[in-house]
Amino acid sequence: MATILVVEDEKPINDLITMNLKLVGHSFFKAFSGTEVPPILERENIDLILLDVMLPGLDGFELMRRIRSLNIPVIFITAKDSLADRITGFELGADDYIIKPFEILEMLARINVVLRRNAREQSALIIDDVEIRPLERQVFKLGRAVELTAKEFELLEVLIQNRNIALSREKLLELAWGYDYEGETRTVDVHIRQLRKKLGWEERIKTIFKLGYRLEAPGEP
Amino acid sequence: MRFWQKTLLVVLILFIVTLDASVIMMMHKSWQLNMEREIQRSSNEQALIANNIYDNLNSIKSRGMTVNDDVLFDVARSYADYYLKQGISLQLWDREQLVYDGALAAEKRKGLEEHHVHEIVTSGELPAPYQELKLVYKRNIEELYTSQKELNRYFVYVNATAGPILACLLYVLIRQLTKPLRQLSRTTQTIADGNYNERVALKKNDEFGELAQNFNQMAEAVGRHVTELSAMAEEKQRIVDNLAHELRTPLTSMQGFAQYLNSAQISEEERITASGHIWSETLRLKNLAFKLLDLSVLRHQSVERIRISVDELFQSVRQMEREKLEQAGMTLVLHNAIESVWGDPDLLASFLVNCIDNAIHASAEGSEIRLSAYELDSAAVLEVRDYGKGMSERQAQRAFEPFYRADMARSREHGGAGLGLAICKQIAEAHQASLSLESRENEGTCIRIYFTTP
Repeated sequence: MATILVVEDEKPINDLITMNLKLVGHSFFKAFSGTEVPPILERENIDLILLDVMLPGLDGFELMRRIRSLNIPVIFITAKDSLADRITGFELGADDYIIKPFEILEMLARINVVLRRNAREQSALIIDDVEIRPLERQVFKLGRAVELTAKEFELLEVLIQNRNIALSREKLLELAWGYDYEGETRTVDVHIRQLRKKLGWEERIKTIFKLGYRLEAPGEP
Repeated sequence: MRFWQKTLLVVLILFIVTLDASVIMMMHKSWQLNMEREIQRSSNEQALIANNIYDNLNSIKSRGMTVNDDVLFDVARSYADYYLKQGISLQLWDREQLVYDGALAAEKRKGLEEHHVHEIVTSGELPAPYQELKLVYKRNIEELYTSQKELNRYFVYVNATAGPILACLLYVLIRQLTKPLRQLSRTTQTIADGNYNERVALKKNDEFGELAQNFNQMAEAVGRHVTELSAMAEEKQRIVDNLAHELRTPLTSMQGFAQYLNSAQISEEERITASGHIWSETLRLKNLAFKLLDLSVLRHQSVERIRISVDELFQSVRQMEREKLEQAGMTLVLHNAIESVWGDPDLLASFLVNCIDNAIHASAEGSEIRLSAYELDSAAVLEVRDYGKGMSERQAQRAFEPFYRADMARSREHGGAGLGLAICKQIAEAHQASLSLESRENEGTCIRIYFTTP
């Protein structure tokens, strides 16, 4: 998965973001002020920056101007939701703009969109004896291709992107089928059963009481 | 139609009409006078000629000759010939019968040239005993008419030339006179476009100069108000932005960590971190809520003032701050030169505690903070002074603004909401006391409250 730099001066929020990134298998670096960022960028190979706008020392917009030439995708995270600020953010070349308070799942989804757009998430993912190749939309078990329907694959992707986080049936419907899908949550159960059977993941995809489903996989890739 | 066009047209028309009317009247008068003179002259001459003819006839009679038509004809002709050279023709009538017609004779001589000529005709009888004879005197005044015509032509010519010249001169003059108007108009346009720094550069002592001066004063007042308003709007916007930030930040982490605890597969250590953050952020929100409530209460409630012993006030403040001071390794030095102040003891203690908290956050370990009370220009003064890192002029200017933090990162570490000095300001206002803040970077800050009303 990707390496993400989180620039946020509020320690609780910085912790919140990085703990969730860790859950779904991203590696991360933390920075609490703008001035800490350039040295990290020099030293490390960063795939994405999550950047707060109101930072002590060097604010997010100013920092963005300085690191623009590096062409690293940037998502602004800020409490400022005025249109002017958002426009400034996008004009500076930000890939997305997340406004506090945000939902963790929303943040993860946006991170995935930006990573995919920038083709940084390329490599195949191996969990147990299952290999998932997102670009080719193919899944192999023990080297043999597994036939998945389009919806099953999308559901699998959502589970992997949000692994170790319990997702409600409604959330899964929204993420895998789309906001405007008017199906029943039973559909999700049917597809989950299919995935478990085809991949032999009865233990990996857990049913969480009162919540939904959770793909449990080691956090580190 | 533009003002200068109107003025030009009106003045031009007025001028030409007045000029022409007077010229025409003068010409008319002169014509009348000329005419009268000619008539007078004609009648005089006619009388003279009539007398001469009478004398002649008398002398002819005295020589014993009879006066018949031939004699009359000869006499008349001799006169007529003489006067014809002066453009005067004579006729002599005997009762209703024409005896001699000088004009006819002249026409005969000259041939038939002009029939319609202007002439003055005067007729009169000769003195008795020749009263049946009548002398008609015709004086040619064609010259008078010619000169009048000439004058008329000249008048038209002068009009035709003077009109355009006058128009040109008027144009230049009026444009010059209305220049300040255009200048004013241009400036108002610029100001209307939002450039409130524009002024009219008009140094004149007339009405326009006065107008320009008043206008400049008005523009300055408007500019000042607009600046004030926009500064106020900016401050309001900043406060709203900051409040949003202060609310959203803890809410984001509380929501996020709650969700994390609820749905993620995590270790015990992570659970403790997450719940710890929720706890501390809840406290932060609580703190913010109470501070905001304080502010709002202060704004809407009048303060009951009683006499407070300064010694007691200082001791209670020291008591409240003891723990924080010990933790930070700082000492509070008290110096009291007055006995009492009038005010609400709780609010004044809260004021001092807020100021001392700020002083603690700004100072380094081991430094001292002075709390003093003294009298200055008949006002009681309470003063909190630290020797910490101070603020820049710009930071000091905004220090009393709600949510403003001179040092964002540090202040939050201490759990401050950025409302301390805003509350201090409200407390001072509730006591009708004035506040002053002196600060120099790396030298320290001094806050004073002046109780001017006893």
